[in-house]
Amino acid sequence: MGNCEIRGGCDTPLSKQKVQDLRKDYWSIRPTDAYGALETSELGLSEQEAQQRIETYGYNELPEKGLSWTQVLLRQFKNPVSGILFASAIVAGFFGQLQQSIAILAMILLSAVLGFYNEYNAEKTVRALRQSVSVKAVVTREGRPSEIDARLVVPGDLVTVYVGDVAPADLRIVQCKELQVNEAVLTGESFPVEKTSEGLDLQRPTPQQLTNYLFMGTVVQHGSGRGVVVSTGRHTEFGSISTSLAESRPETEFQRGVRKYGTMLISLTMALVIGIFVLNTAVGHPMIDSLLFSLAVAVGLVPELMPAIVTISLSQGARVMAKKQVVVKRLVSIEDFGNMDALCTDKTGTLTSGKIVLQDYWSLGKARDARILHYALLCNSAVTGEKITGNPMDAAIWEYAIANEIEGEIKSYVSVDEVPFDYQRRMMSTVVRKDGELTLVTKGAPESVLSKCKYAETDGKSGSIDSAQKLIDAKLAEYSGAGYRSLAVACKTIDAKNSYSVEDEANLTLLGFLIFTDPPKKDAEQAIAQLKKMGVDVKILTGDNELVAVKICEELKIPVKRVIRGPELTQMSSSEIRSAVEEGTIFARITPEQKLDVIKALRANGHVVGFMGDGVNDAPALHEADVGISVDSAVDVSKGAADIVLLEKDLSVLADGIEEGRKIFANTIKYILMGTSSNFGNMFSAAAASIFLPFLPMLPMQILFMNLLYDVSNMTLPSDNVDEEYTKWPRRWDIGFVRKFTLFFGPFSSLYDFLTFGIMLFIFGASASVFHSGWFVESFWTEVLVIFVIRTRRIPFVTSRPGKWLTVLTLSAVAFGTILPFTILGDFLGFAPLPAQYWVLLILMVATYLFLVDAGKVFFYKICKF
Amino acid sequence: MTAYPELMGIWAVCITWSALFLTAVSIYLYMDSRKSRKQGTHAMSRFRFVRDFVFVWVLLGLLGLYIVSIDRRSSIVFASGNLVVEAMLIAYTLKNRPTKGPETEQGAHS
Repeated sequence: MGNCEIRGGCDTPLSKQKVQDLRKDYWSIRPTDAYGALETSELGLSEQEAQQRIETYGYNELPEKGLSWTQVLLRQFKNPVSGILFASAIVAGFFGQLQQSIAILAMILLSAVLGFYNEYNAEKTVRALRQSVSVKAVVTREGRPSEIDARLVVPGDLVTVYVGDVAPADLRIVQCKELQVNEAVLTGESFPVEKTSEGLDLQRPTPQQLTNYLFMGTVVQHGSGRGVVVSTGRHTEFGSISTSLAESRPETEFQRGVRKYGTMLISLTMALVIGIFVLNTAVGHPMIDSLLFSLAVAVGLVPELMPAIVTISLSQGARVMAKKQVVVKRLVSIEDFGNMDALCTDKTGTLTSGKIVLQDYWSLGKARDARILHYALLCNSAVTGEKITGNPMDAAIWEYAIANEIEGEIKSYVSVDEVPFDYQRRMMSTVVRKDGELTLVTKGAPESVLSKCKYAETDGKSGSIDSAQKLIDAKLAEYSGAGYRSLAVACKTIDAKNSYSVEDEANLTLLGFLIFTDPPKKDAEQAIAQLKKMGVDVKILTGDNELVAVKICEELKIPVKRVIRGPELTQMSSSEIRSAVEEGTIFARITPEQKLDVIKALRANGHVVGFMGDGVNDAPALHEADVGISVDSAVDVSKGAADIVLLEKDLSVLADGIEEGRKIFANTIKYILMGTSSNFGNMFSAAAASIFLPFLPMLPMQILFMNLLYDVSNMTLPSDNVDEEYTKWPRRWDIGFVRKFTLFFGPFSSLYDFLTFGIMLFIFGASASVFHSGWFVESFWTEVLVIFVIRTRRIPFVTSRPGKWLTVLTLSAVAFGTILPFTILGDFLGFAPLPAQYWVLLILMVATYLFLVDAGKVFFYKICKF
Repeated sequence: MTAYPELMGIWAVCITWSALFLTAVSIYLYMDSRKSRKQGTHAMSRFRFVRDFVFVWVLLGLLGLYIVSIDRRSSIVFASGNLVVEAMLIAYTLKNRPTKGPETEQGAHS
């Protein structure tokens, strides 16, 4: 026991140096020595010591990236918009225009602060939500086993694992019974590895060779075991792998779209700036004035607050989704969630409950023999108590018995001996006594049990198994074809002896079969129907056989176009896979690598692909998809790799999440379309006017101020109402459409700018400052009010109402812009009061502009689809 | 006494150019959309062309109104012309727009 107190657990602190060397040589010592070596005991640590070790070694969690406030702040400047603005500020400052330079820097700062505030808060919320997605571990402390949050597991803790459990940390196994573990997440090996508690004589072993270790993230497939925690968190084998997994995330559809938009914006800006500078210089304007003006136009073209508005939209969406029990771990994935048009899903645990239930049992005769159930309860490896644990089929038998109140019927039986299950025999046996008579009961895989049966019982009469073979084969084929799993139950009377062995499993009498199924989740059918209605094609990617997958599709009413099996996929070339993924609905018996191939092929075909999975093997696919979706019951690795985690079993939240994603996308696109087109129109007319006017059409500071005011008026756009048709179908970033939109709607704005120039020059004979004021007000009114027209394809205000806050803020901004020329600030910016008659003409002109844009909108959407 | 009389010509060119540019973009987008659809499925009739381009006719009409009213320095012509066009555009909008929004691309083709 080393230096540990047995009673009450071990209280000796573990040295920090020791934790760093934890995995060094624990494989070579005997299991009983492992307790002492790790300064613990068979009773586990004391709660006090565990608490102390958390303080010393930290929580058992993997490091999360990008959460420091400095990183979030720096991220606000990493976009093409900020790049253009920075360049403009530097040039303006270089030529002595400090005011202009400071104004541009103020805009960058405002955008960054807004973006930072929202993103940092969103990150904090996401972190809090992430913590609610917890993984549990059975830990023995002070001699009492209890289920705790895996984050609280510390080195020296005594952890017990059962079938289906994920190892919460790296453990040195001290005790195990037929323990088999899937280590695919570490080694890629899909077959389970047998584990032992014995010491190993190895020099510099690889993780594969450490058969007396249980590594974090690996899944227990068979048996049970107990181990002492050797290392936690990032010190584990999985910790080192997961860091690299997180870094190589592929670019999502949304990120690609934003990047392409940035590139388009830079080209447009560069072309305009060079054009304006050259033309202005050519017509004899001073070179520095021309440069500063062209820079102001460049700034005017850039939607400065776009990064902030996108962040606000995404964080608002994350908050809405959190209320619906959907945790968004990566904000940027929300828009892709909405735009997703293909959802690949694992079957077990996602579409199905992932929990095997006993559907029915049958005997060969007409009447069902209740002994089948009684014997299945007696010949059973499940551990019953507050919670039923162990082999899932055995647990299902118990749950069925409890639900049907028949567990009491086996009280008259006394269990005498057991021949445990093993993978070679694929069955187990129990010897039971009732009324002095001993019976050997065998339960297991039908083909294994049948091979040991000599007789079969039909309606209480025993006969040769051969005579019933045809009926048995037909029934089993029928159930197997329907996707059910079966277990056979057989028995024989046996003589009393000291112990029983596998040799006794012979000359049995078949009683009947137990039928198991993994039923679909209650709401899965409705959720799938909703997804179909929303234009999302559902495909099933499963390692299970095609019969089970087809049955699930039938139950969920998913039309199956084509079933493709793993071996078929192996034979296909890349182009054949790309064609096959379009037709295939079910991809059965496929490996984790093939899941990845299917997702890559769908993405290459231009789909926005979501993947929903819950297993360790799903982690690479979750990582590769545009949107990785996991469920709360998923293993930690899967939840770690996912972008979105559904906390509720209810799959209908999927449709809610998609709708929310589509709303956010719609509002982001609105901002981009409105900003780019009206800015383009204004700046284009400013550029043209600068050539023929005797003064600049607007001063650089006035352009910057107008741009800032416009962006502020758009701050509530993320909360705008979205018309139903925008959320009906998945939509995509289409830079071609943005270009067409800009080219079409931009000239409307230019036309009315020129009209204003005409009114100011020829009707009012305006001076430079009155001209600037007149154009500022007209330009601002048209730019801001057109939001109400462009935000919908319907009749503004009549069949589509804008959001309350958008209306309030937009009209407030218009009011502010209107009074600005009469204020001290207006005076500072170089504006002058406007003649009263101008306002009348302005109202009429802007009204005509809005109606004309609306008519143009009808024409545009008839010919340009998005 | 009229201010900036020397700029009237170039102003008229600029505003005409922006209206014609918009018309050209409309024709380009219209032809492009027809080209991308299956050829022969919709025979283009003159009536259809005239109807589809209503907003362009209005635009060109407005251009005439603006040039004339500003050339005459007449706020009255400008204001009354705008009111007439607004009435026409409201009528056009109400007549040509379904009460529910049009389908998006996938919705329209599904």
